[in-house]
Amino acid sequence: MTKADLMALMPLIILAVGSVLVLLTGAVRPGGYLYELAGALIVASLLWSLCLPAGAVMPGLAITPFARFFAVFLDSAGLVALLLASGYNKRRAIVGEEYPATLLFALAGMGAACAASDLLMLFLGLEAFTFAFYLLVAIERDSVRGGEAGLKYLLNGTLSAAVLAMGIALVYCSRGTLRLPELAQQPATLEPLFLAGFCLIFLGLAFKLSLVPAHLWTPDVYQGAPAPVTALLSTASKGASAAAVLLILPLMAGWRGGHDILWCLSLATMVCGNLAALVQTSIKRLLAWSSVAQMGYVALAFVALPAGGGRAAIFYVVAYAAAGLASFGAVSVLSDGSDRDVIDQYRGLGYRNPLAGAVLTVALFSLAGIPPAAGFMAKFAVFSAALRAGEITLAVVGVLTALVAVFFYLRVVVALYMSPADGVEAAARRLTVSEATALAIPTLATVVMGVYPAPLLDLLALILG
Amino acid sequence: MMADLHLLTVLVFFPLAGCLLMLPAWKHPAAARPLALGVMTGELLLALWLYASWQGLAALKPALPGYLLVEDAPWIAAFGIRYTLGLDGISLLMVVLTAFSFCVALVVSWRSIGEKVGLFLTLLLAMETGIMGVFLALDLALFYLFWEVMLIPMFFLIGIWGHGRRIYSTVKFFLFTMFGSLLMLLAIIALHLLHARQSGVATFGLFELIATPLPAGTQFWLFAAFFLAFAIKFPLFPLHTWLPDAHTDAPTAGSVILAGLLLKTGSYGLIRFGYPLFPQAAQTLTPLIYTLAIAGIIYASLVAFAQEDMKRLIAYSSIGHMGYVAIGIAAWEPVALSGSIIQMANHGVTTGALFAMVGMLDERAHTREIGAFGGLWGKIPLWSFFFLIFSMASVGLPGLNNFVGEFLVLAGTFTKAPLVAGLAFIGIVLTLVYMVRLVQEVVFQVERRPLPLADLDCREICVLAVLALLVVWMGVHPAPLLNLIHGPVQLLTGGVP
Repeated sequence: MTKADLMALMPLIILAVGSVLVLLTGAVRPGGYLYELAGALIVASLLWSLCLPAGAVMPGLAITPFARFFAVFLDSAGLVALLLASGYNKRRAIVGEEYPATLLFALAGMGAACAASDLLMLFLGLEAFTFAFYLLVAIERDSVRGGEAGLKYLLNGTLSAAVLAMGIALVYCSRGTLRLPELAQQPATLEPLFLAGFCLIFLGLAFKLSLVPAHLWTPDVYQGAPAPVTALLSTASKGASAAAVLLILPLMAGWRGGHDILWCLSLATMVCGNLAALVQTSIKRLLAWSSVAQMGYVALAFVALPAGGGRAAIFYVVAYAAAGLASFGAVSVLSDGSDRDVIDQYRGLGYRNPLAGAVLTVALFSLAGIPPAAGFMAKFAVFSAALRAGEITLAVVGVLTALVAVFFYLRVVVALYMSPADGVEAAARRLTVSEATALAIPTLATVVMGVYPAPLLDLLALILG
Repeated sequence: MMADLHLLTVLVFFPLAGCLLMLPAWKHPAAARPLALGVMTGELLLALWLYASWQGLAALKPALPGYLLVEDAPWIAAFGIRYTLGLDGISLLMVVLTAFSFCVALVVSWRSIGEKVGLFLTLLLAMETGIMGVFLALDLALFYLFWEVMLIPMFFLIGIWGHGRRIYSTVKFFLFTMFGSLLMLLAIIALHLLHARQSGVATFGLFELIATPLPAGTQFWLFAAFFLAFAIKFPLFPLHTWLPDAHTDAPTAGSVILAGLLLKTGSYGLIRFGYPLFPQAAQTLTPLIYTLAIAGIIYASLVAFAQEDMKRLIAYSSIGHMGYVAIGIAAWEPVALSGSIIQMANHGVTTGALFAMVGMLDERAHTREIGAFGGLWGKIPLWSFFFLIFSMASVGLPGLNNFVGEFLVLAGTFTKAPLVAGLAFIGIVLTLVYMVRLVQEVVFQVERRPLPLADLDCREICVLAVLALLVVWMGVHPAPLLNLIHGPVQLLTGGVP
């Protein structure tokens, strides 16, 4: 490994070594400035990826512009989630160095997955961050829901890991290599063994992206996990998984069956996610189903990959992540001692806590795809790509399910601003600076991407070549 | 020279900038209201100045034929979306109507909105930006953006300050409109892609897309999607069911803007985008539009006759009046189209005024039930006087504004479809029936309930007097307005301006 390779890898190294550093610091000085340290490490990694342009190709990892883009995206999401967690964990008495250390480890894993150039590294990256999330989901020891969610995630997760590993093994049996660039050079006819392996790999990723029918863990885990963890799980991990899908999709380019599988997954995910969200009374479950549904639109962009769907998919993921961080962030700052989970508990909150209410509203409008929020531009990009690829049925279904979605997002807005609160509720807690920052960053990103998405779109065109 | 001033951008975004002014005044309603009125008046003055100097602007001959002012800049190059605004006579009329209606909406809700005033004013100003944008955008994607943006403030306006089943009404309003718009979005993208495939140029510009040759089947489906979106806003029977609920449950300012402006965005869209983009498909669907419009006029008139709530009655009368606009557009002939456009402005003024007046009565009596009133002529003569004027205008009495629009629509349509014109004429008679009933029961008759009613105060007299003068002026001397829209109408219908 040359010095240049080391420089290019540094953002990942900062996160991985930082994770250990935080653990050690916690052991030496318990209760020290651990969140601050972790935050500084994330910022360092973020700035490194942003400012020091260096590419490198080494066994297993390729620091391409694509990987660097995702590193910046993941670090930003991680930073927001850390800011949210610092106040939330204090209120919930989640103490100790495990939380920031695990979060850093998760970020390192996601970064590795996005930079993977062979299937083994992809597997390691994916499972590293999933492993970190097993811990984070169940980190609140006294919470029954948290424990249940952790167990569900673990059982489902190990199953998907096994499927993923099996798929990789089959691909290796068939081709004798794990390197993605070599696998992308296809023979005239694809071998059945290879296709079986590919489908298993894809099934494993569908679990991470919670595409229907591999989505069943999502509502329970999102509801049970602490809100800042859900914020990260529903955004950054989705981003990393989408990046992983984009890395492996070239393996099946030109195989009609792959298109058909994606087509069905996208349709089922859009329909199921949006319809199931209609009947939820818990806001976390509603947002969980909505995140399932949103991934259906990302899958629609994957279907349209030959017609510029890659750019649409990444833009969609980024816009969704901003809205997801903002919405789960608002939920986490509004949950004090106990979770504020039932939608009825949000009545009149828009006036008692104007900032959190406004942030949640902007996020919901973005998720609903209503301009001027980023979600509109994202849907615009996805539907354009879908129509360009000739997927008229999927586009029409997508539009109609988006209409269904508008209804359940509006329900929350109605509760926030239009329904009077039951009885007299105490005045809202003042938000701390870190919480206000954590809410402001994704909200501003949502509005800016909605009004002026040109720079991001140009950047995406550049990194996708 | 004029183009360098970016007047159209100012026209669109000045109210939004005014929202920022509202932030410091958020906690002080007494200061916020005059400030907001100042912003809206400034906007109105700018619009009036443009109106006063339109002939001068036309003489300058800007880039697009028929247009007075055009602005164009790249916006999202990756999608081929440009920031293109254009002002022609039709837009100008709508812009003036918009700026004026917002002033009216603010003044009539001066006292009735007592809670969360800062939020209310911010939403009004944001909505003004959205509606101005709709009337000025010449890029289909930009148009769609404004089209959706204007819904959000209205959603909050009805939901927060409305009456009755306000949440049901506002969600219904939002979902109905979104349903149409989302399919239109797909049609816009499809048209863009078809154009890009044929010419290699990725654009959403209206004038580039007009030139796209389309196979008949494709054209039909694309027009159907556009038409659905516009017909819901219009609203055409049977897509009108959101309107009575939304109008009735909205606060007065909301009703004034809904009736005065939001419905006009539907008819404007059909004139500016629907017909020019898909002329053959529009021809095919013309009988359907005629049928829906006539059915709407007759149905709405019959239903209006049976209403007990004054606001609901006027809401149904709106459906009827917009039916004439639809007929005039469907005829697609210079005289009828001019009539439709004039009728859009007329309806905005008259119905806006009627909603404002019912709002005033509601503020005093806390009921809008027709059966609760009676004999108001003796109790509140000023209110009754103005109500009579606007009711007569609504019926289409010669000399008042609606007569001009309806006459032109019927005269123009008669040359193309005599039967339609004849049936529509029956509608006018029906309008007379329910409006006379309303006036007779409320203004005349004997007093039914001893309600303590105070007559109009100075603020209300001022705003109603301006509206009444407009009603008379547009009825007696419509020539300046007809001149204003003459050129664009000729261009749209394929004649020489």
